Amino acid sequence: MQKVKQKDLILYSGLIILGLAAPYLFSAFKVQLTYLCVLIVLAMTWNLQGGEMGYNSFGNILFYGLGMYLTASVQVGMFFPLAEWTESGGEKTFVHTTAQYFQGIGVGLIVSAIVPALVAGAIGYAILGLRGHYFAICTLGLGIAAGEIAGGIEIIGAGQGFTTPPFPAEIVDVEARGKFFYFLSFFVLVLAFVFVKYIYGSRFRLILNAIRDNEDKAEAMGIQTMKYKIVGWMVSAFFCGLAGGIMGGLIGYIDSTDVAFDGREMGVFMVLMAILGGKGTLWGPIIGATLFHFFKEGLWTFILGWQYVALGVLIVVIVIYFPEGLMGWLREKYPERFGEVIDEKDRKSQVELK
Amino acid sequence: MNKIAKLFITFISAITLTLATISSSFAKVEDGMIVLGSAISLTGKYSSNGVHTQNGYNLAVDRINSMGGVKVGGKSYKFEIIYYDDESNPKRAAQLAERLIKQDGVHYMLGPYSSGLTKAIAPVTEKYKIPMVEANGASRSLFTKGYKYLFAVLSPANQYLEVAIDLAVEKNGGKPVKIAQAFEQDAFSQDVRLGILDAAKRTGSKIIIDDKLPKELNDMAATLAKVKATKPDVLVVSGHTKGALTAIRQISEMKVDVPMLAMTHCDAAKLSKQHGKKSEYALCASQWHKNLSYKDKFFGSGKKYDKDFKKEFGYAPPYQSAESSAALLVFKDAFERANSFDRDKVRDALKATEMQTFYGNIKFGPGGQNVAKPMILFQVRCKGDTCENKVVAPTKWASDKFFHPIPPWSERG
Repeated sequence: MQKVKQKDLILYSGLIILGLAAPYLFSAFKVQLTYLCVLIVLAMTWNLQGGEMGYNSFGNILFYGLGMYLTASVQVGMFFPLAEWTESGGEKTFVHTTAQYFQGIGVGLIVSAIVPALVAGAIGYAILGLRGHYFAICTLGLGIAAGEIAGGIEIIGAGQGFTTPPFPAEIVDVEARGKFFYFLSFFVLVLAFVFVKYIYGSRFRLILNAIRDNEDKAEAMGIQTMKYKIVGWMVSAFFCGLAGGIMGGLIGYIDSTDVAFDGREMGVFMVLMAILGGKGTLWGPIIGATLFHFFKEGLWTFILGWQYVALGVLIVVIVIYFPEGLMGWLREKYPERFGEVIDEKDRKSQVELK
Repeated sequence: MNKIAKLFITFISAITLTLATISSSFAKVEDGMIVLGSAISLTGKYSSNGVHTQNGYNLAVDRINSMGGVKVGGKSYKFEIIYYDDESNPKRAAQLAERLIKQDGVHYMLGPYSSGLTKAIAPVTEKYKIPMVEANGASRSLFTKGYKYLFAVLSPANQYLEVAIDLAVEKNGGKPVKIAQAFEQDAFSQDVRLGILDAAKRTGSKIIIDDKLPKELNDMAATLAKVKATKPDVLVVSGHTKGALTAIRQISEMKVDVPMLAMTHCDAAKLSKQHGKKSEYALCASQWHKNLSYKDKFFGSGKKYDKDFKKEFGYAPPYQSAESSAALLVFKDAFERANSFDRDKVRDALKATEMQTFYGNIKFGPGGQNVAKPMILFQVRCKGDTCENKVVAPTKWASDKFFHPIPPWSERG
């Protein structure tokens, strides 16, 4: 890993302190903050494909949903018969003790990170040979198919949904649940950031960029593009799975198409957020996700019933005025701040020539 | 990068400041207002029923407020509802419930539309010990979770069409029948299915088609083709409003002959209006019908409610609206009996509810479900071109005889 500069260090420690203090500063907004962390993770990891590798995936929601079901299933299955838990829409009630709850969710999250990554490896091997629109359409289908299939599997509740274990009743503090999920998601966010930041400083990113810019040339230069594409997707799947697992526990109820394999919302949002902030940049998806979340939470309720119209307008505005995202726009306006040197003389002489 | 970082920090601190100013807490009872919260589906697949629910809530709020409001501790309070749009999405609903409670300071909740969304909200209200009276979450599993703050004014989903199977068996001379069924893959419809499974077991009937329908329901031709080929005695379809509309549209298009057609959500879909004669003979489960003889002092009778609702919103109230209005009556009654805004006292008062409303009797069982009110069945019947819903079961309120079997399409004009 490259050396972290001192000024960056101040920025990072500031952000971490803010992150750790946030649930105490804005106690009432814990759930929204948790959502924010999850959204950033999703946008940031989507950016690895869509931004760095040039493979626009609509299928990352598959790993998110998978992670959600896996965490919940493991959390229940470790201590109780899963089939009975979900039977008839979850009529039977089993109660987790505090220890069982946390053990379950811990193991569940580990499983929900590893299995989606493996699935990404397997699926990636099959479909990462597709390029451009074909890949996008194929992954879009993956998410939808997964939702329909999950809606037919009885052991995970099928169409009736899966009620995840309630937070242990022995913990009397009503704020505890919110804090737990916030810190969990914040931890995953930090983990994802450190990892992505590491990738940004590595040869791996250059290879991904090479794939984006000209895959055939990259291949001709001796890069085993398939290998890197698969690994890249597995990294995303790993974090998407974790994010899904946390969200399942937070929401408390998993529905196959509306909560888990929610391609229509989460699946689109993660793409939108990355594009809004500027894909192919480290901070872009983070800024995009933050802005998007604030836009959504702030404006949504004031325009009851019209929010999707507003979202549509937002998308149009982004596409027309910020085609490269906010970061891309800033870069164009203030290139010197991004370390790009412009030869003023050269620029002027070019202008004069015209 | 550093300048960008500074920009970013400025941005974050700006948001921080804004949030800090908003997050000052609100009170739930202020200026003589009792503020209730509700996440409701104004957009998305449940939007039509979400609006029925909202209209029901609003009508009751206006009525109660104009008739003196809620009297607690010798003072009169008025109801007010904060609505959010849950977009027919459980994830959003759970988040909004949290928002209503934590940020808007709501201490009493009204339910959302549909079982799935209620399932998502109930853990939240339970955690914060917020009493919720809900009128549209009928899934049986809601009432077996040991929820203490959830009260439902409606009968559980599995009871919706059980009676229809009994009726079919009765018409078949007491012999078991062949059942074909298709249900949307959502919490409510799947619960209706459980009821049918129970009824089939009880009567020894056989289920010959058992299909699942997708959530974005607009085609069930595959199921109907099978029905045409296997000739069951009863066809049961449930999939909210879209399910009812799709079923009638395609049954009439494909001219599927089946002796008995049992459904849910016929009145919410305004079936008799939208499809007229094509929908005739459809048998529908309903929580309420305007002809029932229940009464209360706010809405008078069901017929009066029907009239007032039509005047206000321009269409006949489906049961979703009626039960939603009833939820407000229950809250009012509980507040006055508790004579306090203490949440636990209100909750205890809700638990002890035993009252009659225009919508039916309300008394909560141990799981929070309404145990005092039976389901009813009505059948769409037409005179000339005007079609109406006529109650056919139970016999106490039946205005018409159940017409069986449905004549084949070749004989229907």
